[in-house]
Amino acid sequence: MLDADIKKRFGDRRHPAFLLDVRFFVRNGITALVGASGSGKTTCLRLIAGVLTPDEGRISVGEQTYFDSSRKINLSIQKRRIGFVFQDYALFPHLTAEQNIAYGVKADDRKTKYDKAREMLSLFHIEHTRRRFPGEMSGGEGQRVALARALASDPAVVLLDEPLSAVDVETRTKLLDEIEDAQRKANIPFIYVTHNEAEAARLGTHRITLHGGRIAHDKAFEETA
Amino acid sequence: MIWSSLKLSLLVVSIATLIVGALGLAFAFLLAKRNFRGKELLDAVLTMPLVLPPTVTGYYLIVLLGRRGLLGSLIYDLTGWTLVFTWQGAVIAAVVVALPLMIKAARASIESVNPQYEIASYTLGKSELETFFRITLPLARRGVLAGLILSFARALGEFGATLMIAGNIPGKTQTMPLAIYEAVASGDDRRAQILAVVLTAISILAVYLTNKISRSQVYG
Repeated sequence: MLDADIKKRFGDRRHPAFLLDVRFFVRNGITALVGASGSGKTTCLRLIAGVLTPDEGRISVGEQTYFDSSRKINLSIQKRRIGFVFQDYALFPHLTAEQNIAYGVKADDRKTKYDKAREMLSLFHIEHTRRRFPGEMSGGEGQRVALARALASDPAVVLLDEPLSAVDVETRTKLLDEIEDAQRKANIPFIYVTHNEAEAARLGTHRITLHGGRIAHDKAFEETA
Repeated sequence: MIWSSLKLSLLVVSIATLIVGALGLAFAFLLAKRNFRGKELLDAVLTMPLVLPPTVTGYYLIVLLGRRGLLGSLIYDLTGWTLVFTWQGAVIAAVVVALPLMIKAARASIESVNPQYEIASYTLGKSELETFFRITLPLARRGVLAGLILSFARALGEFGATLMIAGNIPGKTQTMPLAIYEAVASGDDRRAQILAVVLTAISILAVYLTNKISRSQVYG
């Protein structure tokens, strides 16, 4: 479970160019974070991951506090146990699919890391990409490797930043199924950022809509259906 | 004489290139990835040897490292040894004049790596240092290597600062550029020609390699 109460100003302190002020609670399952461009979706993910620091507020995942301005807690990005899937995948171009996944596995010995990497490749049906570099993969394969890499690092929460924006419709449908499947197996919260309402409706058991840095709607899908 | 100056040049330049590689990477990382007060001043000071006449750089080295220099007097008091008129002095001169080339090339190359890769590495639990060596540096390696080769070539051609701090002692501190100068001054044209051709060949090879590395495709 993830509990976030975040305020972040951009620009002038008194008259900020953009103010993000959100409070939400996310359970195990897929939460779709929806909104137009510039509504603050990606900023939200970056604040949770620790790439950006909130001006005030609190972020906790399960029992662990990642950030608390009142208690001056600010866990480093490395200690937050976040699996981040980037819009452009951010796969390391000089490493093969297998090496990309093994890179994040938290184990001391090389064998355990590579065993885990192969297990993840098999889970996402991309064993054939094992020795391929990101430049040699299709969009769908790259996305699967990115998701496998994020999950292999034993995260407590997975953040997906518009992960399917660069794949075709057919691959997108398949990948949405695989993301749902991966979430069920991992049984941790997934926050899925998208501006695509259909994708949100297809995926989310919970939908949070952002508008101008604030939450416009926060509803479970059962309620909105 | 030709052989001894070639051997000395290669010794001086090899050690200088190793030092330039390590120092250059450290400064490039600092300037590319850290924000601190005086950063631009540090950059300017490190770049100075690129624009100063080498004799001026050499003069500053004497002021700093000479027997009565700020640091040199301390070394002399502790060890009874001075860098002046030694081949180690030639190494220091080569390092100082070549370092800015390495820093400029490595910094530009490190800064051109998409920061998203570094953020991805941090989210996977890797420290800034581990990320630098396993992600940033391999991705910046073409620029870093090009900087290293250019530094090697610059160190090999170093004359003015070397003359100031190490002197021109045959068999001891006389590197190839100094040997060419002496050969011309003493009318030994044949020796000057051979040394010039060897130095030119090495320099052309260095520039060729730099261009080849800069243009090479790294990933499939």
